[in-house]
Amino acid sequence: MESGLMHHVALWLAAFLTLGIFSFLYRDNTWYKVCEAIFVGISAGYWFVAYFWDNLYTKFWVGVWVTPMADRPDDWYVLYVGAALGILMLLRLVPKVGWISRWPLAFIVGATAGLYLVTYFASNVMLQIEDTVRPIFGAENDAPIYEIIGNIVVAVGTFTGLIYFFFSKEHRGAFGRAAKVGIFFLMITFGASFGYTVMSRMSLLIGRMDFLFSDWLKLIK
Amino acid sequence: MLFRVAIAFACLFIIAGVAGQPAGDTALAVQQTIAPVTSLIATNHEYDNGTGIDLIWVPSIDDRLAPSRVTGYEVWRSVVGGSGSRIAELPAGANKFTDEQCSRESTYVYSVVAISVAGNAVSISTAPIQPAREWINLHRLNLLAIAFLVSAAVIYFIQSARSGKKLFVRKIAGLDAVDDAIGRATEMGRPILFIPGIQDMDDVQTIAAITILGRVSRVVADYDTKIKMPVSRSLVMTAARETIKASYMAAGRPDAYNDDMVSYVTDEQFGYVAAVDGIMVREKPATCFYLGAFFAESLILAETGNSVGAIQIAGTAMPAQIPFFVAACDFALIGEELFAASAYLSNEPKQLGSLKGQDVGKAVALVVIVVGTMAATIGSAWDVTFMNQLWSALKVVFQTN
Amino acid sequence: MKREVPLFITFFVGTLLIASVFIPPAESWGENFSVYFDIIAVFAFFLGGGNLLRIHLQKVASKRPDWGYSIVTLVAFLVMLAAGLFKLGNPGGISGNLTTAQSWFQILFQNIMSPLGSTMYALLAFFVASASYRAFRAKNRDATILLVAAFIILLGRTPFGTMLTSWIPPQYDLLQVPNLAIWIMSGPNLAGQRAIMIGIGLGIVSMSLRILLGIERTYLGDDR
Repeated sequence: MESGLMHHVALWLAAFLTLGIFSFLYRDNTWYKVCEAIFVGISAGYWFVAYFWDNLYTKFWVGVWVTPMADRPDDWYVLYVGAALGILMLLRLVPKVGWISRWPLAFIVGATAGLYLVTYFASNVMLQIEDTVRPIFGAENDAPIYEIIGNIVVAVGTFTGLIYFFFSKEHRGAFGRAAKVGIFFLMITFGASFGYTVMSRMSLLIGRMDFLFSDWLKLIK
Repeated sequence: MLFRVAIAFACLFIIAGVAGQPAGDTALAVQQTIAPVTSLIATNHEYDNGTGIDLIWVPSIDDRLAPSRVTGYEVWRSVVGGSGSRIAELPAGANKFTDEQCSRESTYVYSVVAISVAGNAVSISTAPIQPAREWINLHRLNLLAIAFLVSAAVIYFIQSARSGKKLFVRKIAGLDAVDDAIGRATEMGRPILFIPGIQDMDDVQTIAAITILGRVSRVVADYDTKIKMPVSRSLVMTAARETIKASYMAAGRPDAYNDDMVSYVTDEQFGYVAAVDGIMVREKPATCFYLGAFFAESLILAETGNSVGAIQIAGTAMPAQIPFFVAACDFALIGEELFAASAYLSNEPKQLGSLKGQDVGKAVALVVIVVGTMAATIGSAWDVTFMNQLWSALKVVFQTN
Repeated sequence: MKREVPLFITFFVGTLLIASVFIPPAESWGENFSVYFDIIAVFAFFLGGGNLLRIHLQKVASKRPDWGYSIVTLVAFLVMLAAGLFKLGNPGGISGNLTTAQSWFQILFQNIMSPLGSTMYALLAFFVASASYRAFRAKNRDATILLVAAFIILLGRTPFGTMLTSWIPPQYDLLQVPNLAIWIMSGPNLAGQRAIMIGIGLGIVSMSLRILLGIERTYLGDDR
């Protein structure tokens, strides 16, 4: 009985919140504001709890105090470095030494810049160039004509698309025309992504409608 | 008497029953076992920290029949002076494996077991082997060389711009609009909204957003416009406050700065969006900036911004989200333009020099694409040896692993 | 000093991590960075969460417009912390599993946070429609190309697209919508994606260098 009642309360609560968010489409209103306030509070709490247990407790506390020495990885002491940087971050709260909190920030920014520099150069530049270098057609000549055209399109599209991104040359004359062709390809790319996502977005809406009409109102079986 | 007859019949039934069993079951027992794999060799896995051993072998001869009689392989490893254990199960047809869980201090012996319904066949064990560590990854020398080349070009142009050499940088419409967009907010007496994406400071797009914020907030400080920056990450909040504060100080108006310009909302993607949407419809910002890493929320934000009549300048390197910004915003910075934005807005020669440097990278890419595609096509269509060699050479140079 | 130390840290750490990609014994440094980062991020949350509390408490205290909603946010935040940090309402007590079905934390997540999140996400369906309409009305060349490509891909992913052009004879089968959609995805779309990706890669190299060399330093604030 109790669980049945709980189930109903939960269902009505979820329906109340769902309709509250949808009401924003009409205009901002009290109902939406209540939902927004609940969402912000609950979710901020949720993430703090998740970070606390996953990172501070499981990674740091267990790693430093609970795990027996023999089972620890060779570089377990790195956890102390992380915690030290975290504590430096909190020094922001002390006005006199607040500037020290820039150290962990500098650490994060430097590490991110360094890591991305090489990894993105490899995956975005080298790999993409290597993949683009392909024969347009082979010796057998048995490829359908649209495949050959497709190969030409990939080469020309990548070439002109890159021309569009040139910063140090004005888009004028032949260079400008090539850049225009590049924009043409970019727009097709954007259109393709756009069209590709539309269906999945619709299915999200269908999911919520299904909840309202079938789970809550039970109008659809 | 009747009892004896009954027993006799029962015995007859049992004998007949046993004799009548299908012959197939016994046939299994006489099926031949399979041959083991041969030529099993273990070598040190190159260019690692001494944690890998490569194994190669010739599959069991029974694996080469169709249908194969081998159902799979097991790789066994034993530490010299210790016990052995199974470390991998592989499908039929497999002929190599890399063990990446080794220790530099141990010596290992491997064997491969071919598995079949009829029984298993164990290979001869490898010679004992100890993994070695290398100090330089020679497989990545090409990456090092090309990345160095592009970086050197960037640094060269930074230096040459520093020494006073004039550099041309084309106009980027979205960035030229920044001043006007902030001016508009000032005239209308409405705030500008700056959204730095929903990722943390460990994403290079967020860092790009913060560097752009440095330029935007400088103009904001000069014009005395209100800026509102709700963020979804605490570290971004800290970095953004430092940035805006510095701009107000540089503009000579430190008193006008207030920590509340930047506020933390929630780490949750859609909770953050719900709050930002609320801010938009209630405070009606005249200008919205969406710069950084965005996911599905891109369009929700941009469409809500549209509904309140804000001028919108967006930029992201998330390929799936650029289309939505292009469709729903007044100006969209596409990929690379996001990273160039802060240099462009700074208008400092040394920053602009770096943009020319990255163009050298693009020029290299263009040349390789043209030469490579021609070489590959001529080489494979007309079998021209030199062209095929050129094609392979380019592939080797741009290969990554 | 206030400025030099952070600039040096940025340069030093960045260079070290670039080098680690080429030095096998240092390869784990990049992974270790995510460990550091996760721990720093929790400490930083004390600042973020503290900010959230402060803003809403101030709003309530000074009775600013809509202060009532701030009370809702505060209560929701504190209830979630109580349920998650102190495991209030968890059958297993403080050592109980957070995701146990009967725990308050899980009930709040399941029945409040989850429907709110998925409904917010579902709003996209309406916004996709309004953005398409806007692009349709824009009537410029770029918007038209974008919409035509989007329309073909959309049709190609539905049975309607197959039905519409199934009469086209096999020798012209590229013109059948599903085939055309596949061709666009693997031809012009791929080309555009590559150009964007190569650009992004180079943009990151250039920006990272500006940061490591200390030319770009706005994020470090002012040293006065």
